[in-house]
Amino acid sequence: MKPKLHYFSVGLIATWLGVFGLLSFLLMVVISFLQQDPDHIALPYFTFQNYIDLLDPMFLKIFIKSFYVAIIVTGGCLILGYPFAYILSRLPEKLQNISLLLLLLPFWTSSVVRSYAMMSLLKTKGLLNTLLLSMGIIHQPLQILFTPTAVGIGLIYNLLPFMILPIYVNLERFDIALIEAARDLGAKWTTVFRKVIIPLSMPGIVGGATLVFLPSMTLFFISDLLGGAKSLLLGNLIENQFLMANNWPRGAATSVLLTLIMGAGLLMYWKRTKNKEAEHEAFL
Amino acid sequence: MKYTFRALNVGFVSCVCSQKSCINLYTPFARKFPASPKFKSLWVYWLGLILLSSFSTLAMAESNVVNVYVWSQELSPKIVENFQKETGIKVNYSTFDSNEVLYAKMKASQQSQYDVIEPSSYYITRMAREGMIEKIDLKALSNYHNLNPAFQHPEYDPGGEYSIPWVWGLTGIFVNRRYYPDDKITAWRDLWSARYHGALLLLDDPREVFNIGLLTLKYNPNDQNVSHLKEAYENLVSLSPNVRVYNSSSVPSMLTDEDVAMGIAWGSDVYKAQVENPNIEFIYPKEGFVIWVDAFAIPKNPPHRENAYKFLNYILKAQTAALQVTESYYPTANKAAMAYLPKEIVDSEILFPGPETMKRGHFQSDINDDAIEALSRYWQLLKLQ
Repeated sequence: MKPKLHYFSVGLIATWLGVFGLLSFLLMVVISFLQQDPDHIALPYFTFQNYIDLLDPMFLKIFIKSFYVAIIVTGGCLILGYPFAYILSRLPEKLQNISLLLLLLPFWTSSVVRSYAMMSLLKTKGLLNTLLLSMGIIHQPLQILFTPTAVGIGLIYNLLPFMILPIYVNLERFDIALIEAARDLGAKWTTVFRKVIIPLSMPGIVGGATLVFLPSMTLFFISDLLGGAKSLLLGNLIENQFLMANNWPRGAATSVLLTLIMGAGLLMYWKRTKNKEAEHEAFL
Repeated sequence: MKYTFRALNVGFVSCVCSQKSCINLYTPFARKFPASPKFKSLWVYWLGLILLSSFSTLAMAESNVVNVYVWSQELSPKIVENFQKETGIKVNYSTFDSNEVLYAKMKASQQSQYDVIEPSSYYITRMAREGMIEKIDLKALSNYHNLNPAFQHPEYDPGGEYSIPWVWGLTGIFVNRRYYPDDKITAWRDLWSARYHGALLLLDDPREVFNIGLLTLKYNPNDQNVSHLKEAYENLVSLSPNVRVYNSSSVPSMLTDEDVAMGIAWGSDVYKAQVENPNIEFIYPKEGFVIWVDAFAIPKNPPHRENAYKFLNYILKAQTAALQVTESYYPTANKAAMAYLPKEIVDSEILFPGPETMKRGHFQSDINDDAIEALSRYWQLLKLQ
């Protein structure tokens, strides 16, 4: 690549992330330490109050609930996504490209629109119920829409590609000779899977899990549309504080805390892999 | 991006980082790489970005336009089109789904970019008190006499000078008789019956839901007493096992498709559903109910005041108001429009209930900040049940 073009594209991405990612995050950090005022966005007095407010048992309950949802969704995505990514990485190249295209195709439509489509599938008089009723499998329409199940289905559907792609990228570079070697040395398939494939694809799994975990706590429109706006996720809480309570500082504190928790998780993983690498090198 | 910067400027204009941070953003590059040709393209890029950000502001400041910000589905595209054809003024129109969003957006900028906004009654009171909207010169509006006198001096705007009432409506109970053929429902209290476990639709609006909590306890729906709100909350907690969904934006389709068979809804939404599904019935509860009004207002120092007046005068025409009713079935505050409406709409008990029923109605008015804070907290707690 020509250096000029190179700098341009790197500059473009750096600015984009700088302005819309870093700068807006820093803004949130600043606002989260300011005093709340109903008539202004914030008053310029330093305070910890917004973070102290978050110790309220009500917020704690929302945090725990969101974590619970996120763990289930991440687990669901992993169980569905890992075999998919594995099979995908073993396909002939041409088929691989087509499958990848098919995987990304739904992203050409906005996820809000796709959630509405999901609603019309799960409705009382929706496609699923009509189909099952006409086949005689059920006699009463299933009431899935506006239940936590519907939220789970919607979240897993929307976030599955984010789990598949990092694992696929990882498994694609996976050296098949390693499996053969393990088999030659007498390892069973389950052992190969447990001791060779899983540990080596760990970076992909962690990458996927991070991409799925945070959004599943914050995609508030999915719980609004499919869950009947009953269950509050962290995303709803942040949205409520900004728009309904008009309390920007506390909303900012909530989202900063969320970022910090996520960052801590990543840091822990990063430290651990670094230690392992060091051990590995020492061993060699 | 505009909003980020706007937001930045309002909150702490004088101190933390108004312009400084923006300059600092650019200078490090200048210092490190003064005239290196490598970074020329970067500079071009920065310039482009700055141009791009100012572009959107330019578009809004164009001269022969009127910037209108209204409730979704409360201003027919046909009205917009006709107005543009008749006056040659371009209408930039955007919509919102809750007063809170409108209010937050207005607060986020000191100079309003809108010329006409459409808050609900109780937000008119609040915005007038906080100096966010300006008095309207009613004499300049030649069609003002078309307005129903009952709406000219409402509780939320006693002088009638801050707002031009546009559409209004009532909140009541709907029931699908195919699912509940013989249930006797006359009061809000009936919704608490264990028969309706996991079946009800409630409006996704804290004020609407708490109105019911307050009315069933025989309190006024505009009650600001925090301890009364707490009682209402506890009352609503015992209702929450019956709730299936909170929604206020797609009620008609949910009723027509029978996703929900009972609950709380706005009369006009039920009217729309009833046209397609005659099993649905609407009930005005005996404890009383709330009347909402959405009215047009002019923000303080609008960019195009003259066009805002032209727009309001056009809105006040009888034919314009009638067109809106036939498009969205919201009752209108325009009395002259009634002559242009089909008989089945004028005679509908759901849309225009008789004077006996109307006596039980309460106009929704503003509540103070303490009550709002309590309400928003109880609302979140309620949804956690």
